[in-house]
Amino acid sequence: MKTDLQELVAILKVSMQLISRSVNLLNLLSHHDLSFRFPCSRSTGPPLIKISNTDFQMKMEDMPLSGPDNTKLEALVHDIYSELVDDACLGLCFEVHRAVKQGFFFLDETDQESMKEFEIVDQPGVDIFGQVYNQWKNKECECPNCKRLIAASRFAPHLEKCLGMGRNSSRIANRRLASNNNMSKSESDQEDNDDLNDNDWSYGAEKKAKKRKSDKSQNSPRRSKSLKHKNGELGGSIGSEPYKVTTSSFNQYNYNTGISYESLGPDEVRSLLSTQCGVISEHTKKMCTRSQRCPQHTDEQRRAVRVFLLGPSAPSLPDADTVAESDSFDIPDGQALMSRLQWEDSPDISPTDSASSKASANHSDSRKPKKKKRTSLALNCGGRGWSRSRRRRRKQPDWRLQQQQQLSE
Amino acid sequence: MSKDSRMRATINQKLTEMGERDRLKELLRAKLTECGWKDQMKAHCKEVIKEKGLEHVTVEDLVVEITPKGRALVPDSVKKELLHRIRAFLSQHAT
Repeated sequence: MKTDLQELVAILKVSMQLISRSVNLLNLLSHHDLSFRFPCSRSTGPPLIKISNTDFQMKMEDMPLSGPDNTKLEALVHDIYSELVDDACLGLCFEVHRAVKQGFFFLDETDQESMKEFEIVDQPGVDIFGQVYNQWKNKECECPNCKRLIAASRFAPHLEKCLGMGRNSSRIANRRLASNNNMSKSESDQEDNDDLNDNDWSYGAEKKAKKRKSDKSQNSPRRSKSLKHKNGELGGSIGSEPYKVTTSSFNQYNYNTGISYESLGPDEVRSLLSTQCGVISEHTKKMCTRSQRCPQHTDEQRRAVRVFLLGPSAPSLPDADTVAESDSFDIPDGQALMSRLQWEDSPDISPTDSASSKASANHSDSRKPKKKKRTSLALNCGGRGWSRSRRRRRKQPDWRLQQQQQLSE
Repeated sequence: MSKDSRMRATINQKLTEMGERDRLKELLRAKLTECGWKDQMKAHCKEVIKEKGLEHVTVEDLVVEITPKGRALVPDSVKKELLHRIRAFLSQHAT
């Protein structure tokens, strides 16, 4: 037994010596290269490097520097670190001290009572002020107007529509009424684009003109006007229609831009044709109710319609042009061309006063002073149903032509 | 020991010259603010000031009170990060 133990001890001693020698060798090796690092995870045996006492955390990157000299380096590292931390603390102290002496350090504090009152609340279901935030979600309110129960979040928009006082409420109401009118009317001619353009422009004008009147009273005169127009005698009202059109600024309810010629007698047709374009639309078989200078139809078309409706003997186109027109039948092209040129010359000018010059669309008449032109422009555009852009585009040439005329005059 | 102190001096010099010291300072300040250390310290300052009285606080008072607590309150992650960076610098530039 004794010998066994002694043997064991001897073996142990030898192995220890070997280990210490190998440690020294390895230390010597690592001593020369500071950046040498053992990959911890891959080491087969226990780490043979001395671990510094100051740092017990061992990560791959945070491997402390090894070797006797390196403990000094490690100490240096820590010294540098402490210096930096002290710097930071000192900086903070200076900041605080200055704030205290300048008097703004305690600005965010008031008396204890207020502090407690406005403390941050940290409960579930409640925001930091202590208010319940979805309190009104499930509540319903009774509308004072229509007596319906409306959800709280939808109440305001509903009131807008219901009372007719919001930004879009009048627009929507008009649209609805207009569509109702369309449905109910049987003989309304709807030349789509024109009508839409009419709507856009005339609605804008109307809005400006009738701004101060309340919406409710606005609705009734409109309705009565549209009703009048619907039910009124077309024959009788046609003569005055251009005026009506302009004064009522061709409101949206006036969709009747076309008249069915079959229902009219010859006299009516004649009177119609003397004031209006009258060209029969292919889609709807109705006569165009725009003025004689309607840009959608050519004079040829107008003449053809008159021939068709009234017979070849009496095509009734107004004044200066009628002479030219009737001449053009007999006389060769030169004069016809001339008459046409006259027509084309004035399109810029004439539209401005088509309303006022229904019977006499003279070129001389068209050269009117500015004021009249402008008002008539406005009226006419309502009558014509031109889009705003078109009006703007034409304005310039008008003005320039005016200038030229004035200069020439 | 003089070698040691010389080495320290050179390292410190290098640290400052290369701008690494300033960078490290800024990094530390930013990290401390981020992790809330600064607010903690300010709260502590308030207490100290209330203790000592608003009118008679001096810088020394504050320093004496604040620095040890400050050192202790630095979070481990920040400390590790800084040490790592310093070591990296040393390993790059030490002789």
